[in-house]
This record gives sequence, C-alpha cells and structure tokens, in this order.
Amino acid sequence: MIRSYFQKKPHLVYIMPAMIILGALTFIPTLFLYVLSVSDYELGYSSFNFVGLDNFIRLFSGRDPEFWYSVMISLGFMVIVTVVELLLGFWLAVLLDREFKLKFLVFACMIVPIAMTPSITGQVWKLMMNAEYGVLNYFLQFIGAKVIWLSGENAFWSTVLVDVWQNTPFVALIIYAGIRSLPSDPYEAAAIDGANRLQIFRNITMPLLWPMILLAVIFRAIDSLKTFDIPYSLTQGGPGSATEFLSLHVYRLGFAQTGWVGRSAAVSVVLLILTTVISMILIRAYRKGVENKG
Amino acid sequence: MNPMGTKKLGIGTAIVLLIVCVSCVFPLFWMLIISLKTKTQTYDPSIWFFSPTFENYKNVFANRHALDYLRNSSIVVVLTTLFSIFIGGMAAYGFARFEFKKKENKAFWVLSLRMLPPMASVIPIFVMASLLGVLDTHLVLIICYMLFNIPFTIWMMRSFFEEIPLALEEAAFVDGASRFQVFMKVILPLATPGLIATAIFCIINSWNEFVFALFLTSADASTLPTTVTLFLSVSGVVWGEMSAIGIVTIMPVLLFAMIVQKYMIRGLTFGGVK
Repeated sequence: MIRSYFQKKPHLVYIMPAMIILGALTFIPTLFLYVLSVSDYELGYSSFNFVGLDNFIRLFSGRDPEFWYSVMISLGFMVIVTVVELLLGFWLAVLLDREFKLKFLVFACMIVPIAMTPSITGQVWKLMMNAEYGVLNYFLQFIGAKVIWLSGENAFWSTVLVDVWQNTPFVALIIYAGIRSLPSDPYEAAAIDGANRLQIFRNITMPLLWPMILLAVIFRAIDSLKTFDIPYSLTQGGPGSATEFLSLHVYRLGFAQTGWVGRSAAVSVVLLILTTVISMILIRAYRKGVENKG
Repeated sequence: MNPMGTKKLGIGTAIVLLIVCVSCVFPLFWMLIISLKTKTQTYDPSIWFFSPTFENYKNVFANRHALDYLRNSSIVVVLTTLFSIFIGGMAAYGFARFEFKKKENKAFWVLSLRMLPPMASVIPIFVMASLLGVLDTHLVLIICYMLFNIPFTIWMMRSFFEEIPLALEEAAFVDGASRFQVFMKVILPLATPGLIATAIFCIINSWNEFVFALFLTSADASTLPTTVTLFLSVSGVVWGEMSAIGIVTIMPVLLFAMIVQKYMIRGLTFGGVK
C-alpha cells in the first residue's frame, strides 16, 4: 500500500527527507520558543513557572523602555541601511555597465566585503575606528578632523557605515545582473517613438528591473533587521545601549548579563513576528512580479 | 545596444571605481598589515614600512588554540555541507522535475526559512541541547547549519536542474532506465558545476556563521568566527593577534569565493538571478 502511494506521488521520495528535516528543525524550536516566552525560566535554575502573558505585558505596557528603544533602532537601521545600499548599489551597477579591460579586477575587489566573515568585519572596523590609534582618524587628521567613531552618538552611524561597506557590493552585483539582462527591443521601439531618457527610465527600465530590485530589498531588509554579528563585535550594543539592536537585546537579556531566558524568548517572539510579517509582504510582492513576468 | 547610456569608461567613472576598489580591499589590507606588526607598532598607524614579523601568527597558534578552532570549523563545515547537498539536492530535483499540489507554496515556505532570525531559533535550541546534553558538540552545529544550507541547496540546485533539457532524461527513459538511475547517472553528472558551486556557497555560509556558534559552543566545538569573543575588551586588546586570527578566518572563504566568482550573483540570491 505504501508502495502504491509513492508510485502515485513519485515526487515525495525526493522532497520528503528535506521537508521532514526542515519541518522538525523549525516547528519544534518555534513551539518551544513560544512555551519559553510564557515562562519565567532562568539560566541555572531547574524549576520554572508559567506566567501567562506577563513577559509580553511587560514589553507592551512600557515598563521596558529599552525594548522599545531596540525596536526603534532596529527598524531605523533596516530602513536606512536598505535605502542607502540600494541607492549606492544602483549607482555602482550603472557605473559598471560599460566595457573596460580591468572590470574583472573591480569584481574581484567587490567580492572581498561579500565574502568576509561578518563578525570579523566588525572586529577589523573596530580597529580602524579606534579614536586614538585607528587608521580612519589617522587619515582624517590630514584634513584636520577627528571623529570619535564609537561614541554614544556616533556608534549607530558607524554601524550603518560598516554594514553599507559589507553589503553594498552584493546589491550592486544583483542590479548589475539585472541591467545586463535587459532586452533591447523595448528600447529600440522607444527610440523610434522618440521617448526621452526620463520616460525610458521610468516606463521601461524600472518595470524590467523591478524584480531584481525587490530581491535585493528582501535580502537586505530582512538581514539588517536581524543584524547581530557586526554590532556584536563592533560595539557589543554599546556604549550604554546606543546600538543594542533587537538581536543584541535578546542576547543581553537572556545570556550575556542576566539569565532571563523567559523574557528574552518573549523579545525574540516579537523579532520573529516582525521578520515574518515583513518578509511575507516582500516575498508576496516579489512572487507577483515574477509570476506576472511569466 | 545599450539601454542605460554610454558604454565608454570616462575618467570620472574610472576614478570612482578606483575609490570603490580601494575601499573594498582596504580593511583586509589593513588587517594584514596590523597582523605583521610588533605590538608597539600596532598603536601607530603612521608606520607603513616595517620589517614584517610572524610573531602574532605564532602566538595565535601556540597560545590561542587557533588550530583547534580551525579544526572545529572544518569538521562542522564539511559534514554539514555533505548532508545538505545530498538531502537538498534530492529535494531540488523533486521541485525541478515533478508537478504536484501547492508546489510553489512549498518552495516559498522553504525560501522563507532563509528569513528566520537565528536569534529566535537559537534560544529554544540552546535549552533543548542543554537538556539533551549535546551543547558544545560538533553534532549540534552540523544539524543547525542544515537549517539554512538545505533551503539554499534546494533553490540553487533547482535552478541548475531546470536548465538541463528534458530530452536528455527522456532518452534515458526510452533506454529503460529508472527515474532514480536517471537522476544518478544523467542528471547529477550534468549538474556537477552547479553542485560544486552550491557546495562552496554552503561552505562559505557555514564558515561565516556566528550566532549558532556563539550560543551553542563554549570550548570544545568553537568555530573560528567565535574567536572575536577573545578580544572584546577595548583596553589591552592585542591587536596583532586579533588581526592574525582574523586573517586565518577569512583567507579560506576569500579563496573559495574567488573560485565561484562566476556563480556569485546566483549563489547570493538563492538561484533567483542567473
């Protein structure tokens, strides 16, 4: 009977193992995360109680201002980083869209940030951004400037800078690939109709590039919302809690300073819901774009 | 015909691109320089020419167990890549060659796993692993890394499988081969470049992974990216050693990334852009 079932659905043999493993690896931990988030489980204690929605009520009643600060800077970071990387990446892609001999060298250079281990990236930039011995201030002194890169007010923008360094080449590569695969027919038609450059850009180039741009936005928005590696090694969320993004807040609450796993699970439920909602919206838009295109 | 404008490289563009190249490579270059300096030299950024010392690399391997980290990273990365390629490759073939109910929904569910914040799954996994007594083992990392490597393999390999013409398979069916024989003997050999590229991307992603490694390992199974925890304090940081271990960490991935340069865009977008 099982045999005939598989003969009727031959694809199952191929996709079942992967689906079962992925299902187990996501459903069980997610379920367990929800259980933890309604408990007062602490690291090092063997007993714990269920406290209902206390952890969530604490978050949303405003008794935890650090949580709201984390949400705000995480969302702000996501928007700023995505927009900046998209604009810079687009510009870079347009610049690269011409023929010259050393192009392979430019691509080779752009792969360095893409491949670099993010936690190490944070560490190198911590070296370079050191106020006294850092190489950035060494360069700046030639024009008589000095920046305390990792001070309370600058740390957020320094983190943005490092993220832009690491991920702009990725966005540029995607959009470059999009530009390269543009068909030439619509442009010839537009030229015959006497369209100007702005009209061509708005009515032909943008719609054709839209799926690529959305794809870049999906990856960058989601990854920057859950950013952890770079701020962890660059600032540890500091100074104070100036760069304590949601992931770092979860980490500090549950593991670094206090062992409040229950409360930190509640915060990561919020993070999980935020990423799920944003990625669902973006993926739906992307699917629409791709499936319309055929 | 070029839609976006002129094709020539003007002097202005050339200068901008040069600046881009320099800023992309500079942090790597700077880390290399620092790693070759003596301790006092590292505190003076104006020293550009000096006789390099390998003291930092020696210290890192002798006192900071760099070899153990390197070994842990290699074990975890190789095993998780092998499992993921095998299991994900099969599923990718299933998605590429069969029609079934809600296929695209299933595929996009797989893609959505890429969006999961590791911070959300690592907390329950940490608690479960400590209950099971498998914290700080290679096994727990190998399993966790399949969580992002299998979805990646499915989407990436699907795009490669779909490029193989159906006619080749049909010819083999006519000769009396079974579906599985066709998969093993016709499809896989044809998809070898794709398999290698996919494997290398799995290696890069697992090598660079930080959150799971930070939470789930403490001593015996720690991987290279977690070495940043050795150098967290701002005062008294040994910059030379910090840079040396950084170089040891990123050199292998850089090398691999250069090998798959041709597939870079495809790999970075889960096979979405060819």
